[in-house]
Amino acid sequence: MDSSLAALSVRGLRKTYRGGFTAIEHLDLDIPDGAFFGLLGPNGAGKTTLIGAVCNLLRPTAGDIRVFGHQHDSREARRLVGLAEQEINLDRFLNVSEILVYHAGYHGIGRREAQRRARELLDLFRLGGKAKSRHTELSGGMQRRLLLARALMHRPRLIILDEPTAGVDVELRAEIWRYTRELNELGATILLTTHYLEEAEELCGEIALLRAGKIIARGSPAALRLQFGVDDLAGVYARAMADHERAFATGGAP
Amino acid sequence: MSGGGGFPASGTARVLAPVSSSRAYQAERPAFAWLVEREVLRFLKIWYFTIAGHVISALLFVVVFGFALSGRVSGVPGVSYAQFILPGLAAQAMLNVGYINGTTSLFEARHYRYVNDVLASPLRWWEVNAALVTGGIVRQVLTGASILVIGIPLTGTGVRYPAVLLAAAVAVLVIGAQLGVLVGSYARSLDQVYAIETLLVLPLGFLGGIFYPVSRLPGAWRLASELNPAFYVVQSLRIGFLGHGDIPAALALGVVYGLAAALTLWSVLIFRSGSLLKP
Repeated sequence: MDSSLAALSVRGLRKTYRGGFTAIEHLDLDIPDGAFFGLLGPNGAGKTTLIGAVCNLLRPTAGDIRVFGHQHDSREARRLVGLAEQEINLDRFLNVSEILVYHAGYHGIGRREAQRRARELLDLFRLGGKAKSRHTELSGGMQRRLLLARALMHRPRLIILDEPTAGVDVELRAEIWRYTRELNELGATILLTTHYLEEAEELCGEIALLRAGKIIARGSPAALRLQFGVDDLAGVYARAMADHERAFATGGAP
Repeated sequence: MSGGGGFPASGTARVLAPVSSSRAYQAERPAFAWLVEREVLRFLKIWYFTIAGHVISALLFVVVFGFALSGRVSGVPGVSYAQFILPGLAAQAMLNVGYINGTTSLFEARHYRYVNDVLASPLRWWEVNAALVTGGIVRQVLTGASILVIGIPLTGTGVRYPAVLLAAAVAVLVIGAQLGVLVGSYARSLDQVYAIETLLVLPLGFLGGIFYPVSRLPGAWRLASELNPAFYVVQSLRIGFLGHGDIPAALALGVVYGLAAALTLWSVLIFRSGSLLKP
């Protein structure tokens, strides 16, 4: 694939942390522009490390990462990526509106446009009445919506959602599903990590299973079901993990 | 606006539509300016603590030591004790404020991980470093200026060498702000931040000759003072205000500028490598 056409292109990514732990060994991944891509795997599989590397939050040990053809740490690439992390990591000194306005500012957006856009997104995410509140005064669901709104402030083309529905109620989960679908329909590429297999099955056009820093299976939900001869993604997940574990234990190439 | 928890029927596309992937990055307003503004806004929101508290504390020292005890202690001939201690107290307040500003701002951003919002943005490493330092400098200027605006008329202190004072002030601002950013980068807990302030920054300041001329100390204590970087900070400002100190102005300024340059270089190296902010 021509990497300039991919929303995300990762080649030979390796990340070894200071303590010597290698979270990602040698990872190649292409996500086409406009895809709704799911990344599944157990805790410690390397999902958050991969996201951190793409988003300039950690220093890859080796490899090349490109976002729409731009080096991942270039300003062009940074401008195109929106990240909603799993943790509620909102600036505790700013109020809800300021969190959005300053985020836009860090992406070089002018004050008037940043304020207009903040109002727009606060209304869309039903947070307009909380604009002057501290985020700590919001409910968990509101904080989750604010995280998503912040990620969208600078109109990113690649939106990375790291377990966006972890710990949220059924209603909010459905709402987040609607938001992400709509974003994808409007042309944004979505990279979603989740532990909820039904969520991946429902939303994602393509899925990669990650284990021990390696992609062990990849395809559309239908293709994966066919490949592993099972009825649902839960079966795919269980079979793929077991196969990889067995190959690893017998010393084969996992 | 959404009525049932989803998107409104119209206008959603306009709100959510992404930008073109081929558009070159062009800032309508520099991201650096936004981060500086955020840094200043952060401490101005709690000005009564971040500015006023330090100003009141320094002025209380001037009043209590400078006036109440002025008959019992003296600084140098021809200069009242209140005039003698004012430059050092201003320097001490500015250093403390710079240190606390950098440490709390950066440590908390790391601890609560909202620094990721900055790291994932188009801001470059040197812009992040410079913005944090600039925020600290603005807070130090406001604190130092407030102390001097009240303290100068209160004590009748003049400015003997404005150029020396200005040069010294610039170096002191950089030292305080960079020290704060450095400790904020390394600290692993808030306990460490406060321990360094209590066990290192404050004692070094008080033992740096704020309250007494170091030339009057016995040999060993004098040597210990001369090894204390805060001594040169106090001396450089005192020479600017009063016209004399325990050492020549060139030596005081040389040491404070050397210190400012060393801290800046250290800070630049860790921000450029990203080794402390990015695992």
